[in-house]
Amino acid sequence: MSRKTLEIYSVELDGTKDTKQTDQEDDKKYNDLDLKKSHQKEELKRELDLDDHKLTSEELEQKYGTNIITGLSSARAAEHLARDGPNTLSPPKQTPEIIKFLKQMVGGFSILLWIGAVLCWIAYGIQYVNDKSASLDSVYLGVVLALVVILTGIFAYYQEAKSTNIMASFSKMIPQEALVIRDSEKKVIPAEQLVVGDIVEIKGGDQIPADIRLLSSQGCKVDNSSLTGESEPQPRSAEFTHENPLETKNIGFYSTTCLEGTATGVVINTGDRTVIGRIASLASGVGSEKTPIATEIEHFVHIVAGVAVSVGLLFFIIAVSLKYQVLDSIIFLIGIIVANVPEGLLATVTVTLSLTAKRMAKKNCLVKNLEAVETLGSTSIICSDKTGTLTQNRMAVAHLWFDNQIFMADTSENQLNQAFDQSSGTWASLSKIIALCNRAEFRPGQENIPIMKKVVVGDASETALLKFSEVILGDVMEIRKRNRKVAEIPFNSTNKFQLSIHETEDPEDKHFLVVMKGAPERILERCSTIMINGQEQPLGKSNATAFHTAYMELGGLGERVLGFCHLYLPEDEFPESYPFDVDAMNFPTSNLCFVGLLSMIDPPRSTVPDAVAKCRSAGIKVIMVTGDHPITAKAVAKSVGVISASSETVEDIARRCSIAVEQVNKRDARAAVVTGMELKDMAPEQLDEILANYSEIVFARTSPQQKLIIVEGCQRQDAVVAVTGDGVNDSPALKKADIGIAMGIAGSDAAKNAADMVLLDDNFASIVTGVEEGRLIFDNLKKTIAYTLTKNIAELCPFLIYIIVGLPLPIGTITLLFIDLGTDIIPSIALAYEKAESDIMNRKPRHKKKDRLVNHQLAIYSYLHIGLMQALGAFLVYFTVYAQQGFWPTSLINLRVRWEKDELNDVEDSYGQEWTRYQRKYLEWTGYTAFFVGIMVQQIADLIIRKTRRNSIFQQGLFRNKVIWVGIASQIIIALILSYGLGSVTALSFTMLR
Amino acid sequence: MRRQLRSRRAPAFPYGYRYRLDDQDEVNQNYLADEEEEAEEAQVLVVPDLEEEEEKEEEERSQGQPIGNAWWQKLQIMIEYLWDPERRISLAQTGLILFIYFFFYASLAAVITLCMYMLFLTISPYMPTFTERVKTPGVMIRPFAHSLNFNFNVSEPDTWQHYVISLNGFLQGYNDSLQEEMNVDCPPGQYFIQDGNEDEDKKACQFKRSFLKNCSGLEDPTFGYATGQPCILLKMNRIVGFRPELGDPVKVSCKVQRGDEDDIRSINYYPESASFDLRYYPYYGKLTHVNYTSPLVAMHFTDVVKNQAVPVQCQLKGKGIINDVISDHFVGRVIFTLNIET
Repeated sequence: MSRKTLEIYSVELDGTKDTKQTDQEDDKKYNDLDLKKSHQKEELKRELDLDDHKLTSEELEQKYGTNIITGLSSARAAEHLARDGPNTLSPPKQTPEIIKFLKQMVGGFSILLWIGAVLCWIAYGIQYVNDKSASLDSVYLGVVLALVVILTGIFAYYQEAKSTNIMASFSKMIPQEALVIRDSEKKVIPAEQLVVGDIVEIKGGDQIPADIRLLSSQGCKVDNSSLTGESEPQPRSAEFTHENPLETKNIGFYSTTCLEGTATGVVINTGDRTVIGRIASLASGVGSEKTPIATEIEHFVHIVAGVAVSVGLLFFIIAVSLKYQVLDSIIFLIGIIVANVPEGLLATVTVTLSLTAKRMAKKNCLVKNLEAVETLGSTSIICSDKTGTLTQNRMAVAHLWFDNQIFMADTSENQLNQAFDQSSGTWASLSKIIALCNRAEFRPGQENIPIMKKVVVGDASETALLKFSEVILGDVMEIRKRNRKVAEIPFNSTNKFQLSIHETEDPEDKHFLVVMKGAPERILERCSTIMINGQEQPLGKSNATAFHTAYMELGGLGERVLGFCHLYLPEDEFPESYPFDVDAMNFPTSNLCFVGLLSMIDPPRSTVPDAVAKCRSAGIKVIMVTGDHPITAKAVAKSVGVISASSETVEDIARRCSIAVEQVNKRDARAAVVTGMELKDMAPEQLDEILANYSEIVFARTSPQQKLIIVEGCQRQDAVVAVTGDGVNDSPALKKADIGIAMGIAGSDAAKNAADMVLLDDNFASIVTGVEEGRLIFDNLKKTIAYTLTKNIAELCPFLIYIIVGLPLPIGTITLLFIDLGTDIIPSIALAYEKAESDIMNRKPRHKKKDRLVNHQLAIYSYLHIGLMQALGAFLVYFTVYAQQGFWPTSLINLRVRWEKDELNDVEDSYGQEWTRYQRKYLEWTGYTAFFVGIMVQQIADLIIRKTRRNSIFQQGLFRNKVIWVGIASQIIIALILSYGLGSVTALSFTMLR
Repeated sequence: MRRQLRSRRAPAFPYGYRYRLDDQDEVNQNYLADEEEEAEEAQVLVVPDLEEEEEKEEEERSQGQPIGNAWWQKLQIMIEYLWDPERRISLAQTGLILFIYFFFYASLAAVITLCMYMLFLTISPYMPTFTERVKTPGVMIRPFAHSLNFNFNVSEPDTWQHYVISLNGFLQGYNDSLQEEMNVDCPPGQYFIQDGNEDEDKKACQFKRSFLKNCSGLEDPTFGYATGQPCILLKMNRIVGFRPELGDPVKVSCKVQRGDEDDIRSINYYPESASFDLRYYPYYGKLTHVNYTSPLVAMHFTDVVKNQAVPVQCQLKGKGIINDVISDHFVGRVIFTLNIET
């Protein structure tokens, strides 16, 4: 197995040069892999009945009514455009703005409040019919309720729209242009005007503007990664090479990029009919899951609305049977509903979410869908991509082998600290080869940019080598200048090596230096000596063994290994003027001196291992899903901690114990590496079993469709699944996931569209911050809701007592709204600023079905403990006010009827004083104000209680959250304004308190 | 705490082990929900490895246990009763919860009771703490039967009989005999100030029904309603400690509120001064001023225009009397309509 792997790796590292070769190698060695591949493609193929790649150019001309030389006529093109529509992907169906707005207006509690408002108006209507001078109170109340609904609706809509706008600006693309031949002329037209039959020319750097069948090509290579996930550039030519349109080389796909070369082709599909278009529409077909927080809030709304309506109806019936008028009973009903519904809460939740979204945007997580903020917090499984998310998406030198020793190189993002021993003479030679035998170059004009950030022209491996040597040796370009290159054989797949011949930098030294790098075993074949400690030694058996051990070890780490050798040409045979001919190879390419090995890997981002560890301690399973080879995948998984150091796969155990894989007890292994091929043959139950039994899983060689299967498998475990991805092919999985996370830099637009969140820095560590924020917001929302629910009892009790005991009404409906929407709003938002309680990342993610946002503990604690205390406290204040004015609590019982009779102007109090109706009303308002202030003051205490759920208030720090104090101040100020500033406004029913 | 207990108990009987696994899982998943489990939870998090060790231990021990022992099973059932591992509730725990609730509500009730008690300590039974809401007296009229519109037909006694009954009933407390028996005849024209302790009983001044002359119902038992000359009694609301300012008695004056001034033509006031004598003030409150009789002024509308609604406004006049509050039509004034049909 490992031997095979080594070979495939040596192939792959050179494979950048010629993928065809790799493919063939692959096919030979991994028939099974090929099987999987073809299976995967078949899935796409079913929808893809494309035979244009089989046709000759003449047939194509006929089919599309075009001419390869002259192109379409403008008239014809216009005709086609009218028939097929523009060459753009139709954007996902958007809900019309007005529908969104109306949804905000009737969603949640709004419908209850609308009912309340309408009941108010009906009540007034009935009153008005009976008595033309009926008071307008209930009309006011109705208007206020309607206003509340409309304002909170507008507010929520605005918040929603604001976050959508961020994305809208994000997804806007630069208009694309295409070079097209029409009417025998080359024209540049906007790509969306392309039609079937157009002849287009593409060159390196262009995005392919539609699905095209290539007619001619000069060294054209395309990057199909957004379509297939293969990161290797694919050569494109005019020949028909494969039955499968996705496999054949003569078709270029819409939205893929032409990396180098030029090509001409005829457009065969445009817009949504392109392959990418079909995948995109597949993604929009995948239903996206309701976010957990939406479910939670719905659950909460159901609970509260249920309580409100049932208590309301219960007391309506009680009121009617207590011989209250039906009209009065309706007013009670409204009061009870208003008291029960936390009007301001949904707005608060929206604000809280958008605050967190903003905070996360600062940490490079752009949240598209506000509710996704919390989803990340409840995530229990992260299916992470490898390339670019866990790794840096570039090659870097990881290990060196020379002098029979393996040295480790620094693979961190800045690579400043190359600490291995550089004193050996071998290193001097090796570094020279690395610097010289390299065709990559820095793009000019980047002198002030750090080496790691400089743009390089050349493939990934060469770039890595160039940067590596630049860091260690200094100016590589200068070294190359001093060692003038006289001849060069570029890499090709037959030779599997790259060679160049240089003059030496010593002007006295007339030797030529041949430097060579390539697949290690090929290089070794050409060597007869080996350099140890700067001395050439014959390549003995022991050296060869050492080489193989090192090669296997490095290959086993999933790294691309390169061998380096050199040879000083004898001066006499190769004089200064010797004409080197690379085609004739008139110079020795064997019996060289082997210098060393160097291995490269796409190194993990330095922040990732820590982030993965954090995820693990937070109870989140990190599953790596990659298209890469299992060995590389496993190596990266190990280095980032997706597979922790102590865990073993079944295969590892088998190897350690030297037993067959079948004999290993599967329960002993904690980690598993599953390839796409294995996955293909698996029943869903088997996948479930794997997902449930192994804590550390790597899926390698997977196709996008399988990614979807994996996500579904995870969701079957009741897990909240986060998926990261960047390609178009990932978009169905991103959509299917509870939260899709797209990469901001590498991500395609399709992926970003399907995702709920975009990582602006493509960094896995940002996900962890996101998780932290998500959990924090869940906790804080819980606090907010607990805070908001508490006063419901204090608001509800007055109505119940009023109906049953007949006290003068302790608090009016409008006054209630002032609590809900006035004093309590800012404090409840302030709770969103509460810092995490210490253990936030050390606990398990919440279970989406068991850990509800509002559970009975919260409800009981809010309603029956704090709420009850609050109600009693407020009543105490109310009784105090009445008692001080002359109505002792005992005299209040059953006073209601006489109290409210307008004509009765000599109601006697406990001292024998007689009160007019207005005097009583004024006292009642004072009572409202007192009750209001009573609740308000207790809410301040409640706010401080709610700051923490687990920690003590002193652990959490009383003053760490400054916003809380702003909230408290706002509460007091609003209450002061209401009771002293607006004392004379009778509609608000506030009076001054002494 | 509980976790430790459990792990010690679990090995005691083999089947507990099976439950414990699911159980533990649930604990972890319930983490957020279960506030009560916090302490326990923290321990689990601190020592995650402990669990595995324990499991092995348990396995070993459970194999050594005799299974199917009757005594054992009985104990099992008993323990299960006390501690149900599936539902994670023990009888003792339930009891404890109930007790805590009881204790909580009991102390809540105690605190509230204490507060109410304190409230009463601060409130004097003789004098309201604040009187600013009723500083100026309101005015009310009699007869009062749900409405301030007097609609009646002179020739139909049924339409006014209830006014007569109401007035008669109201004036029972003013009967001369009763007043003479209960109350003192105090000198007119000056406040009847009774110094002394707050809690001493206060004497009340007589206001005899006969003061109302033609409106007393003594001579004319129909109070003039039968002749279309209704008597309406005006009463000033009682306010503890109220004293008309500067020794001037409060006067009553009625006129047409809106419309022709002449619609009323003449009103006879009884007592003739149309005022509330100073001797009825101040009022010392219900508790000590038990027999206090509110002074009255009767208005006898002798020649009011018939067959049309006449809005009448009667105002109190005097220093310190407010009678023009817009929002309150009953402070210092009263408005009613007379609609007498013949």
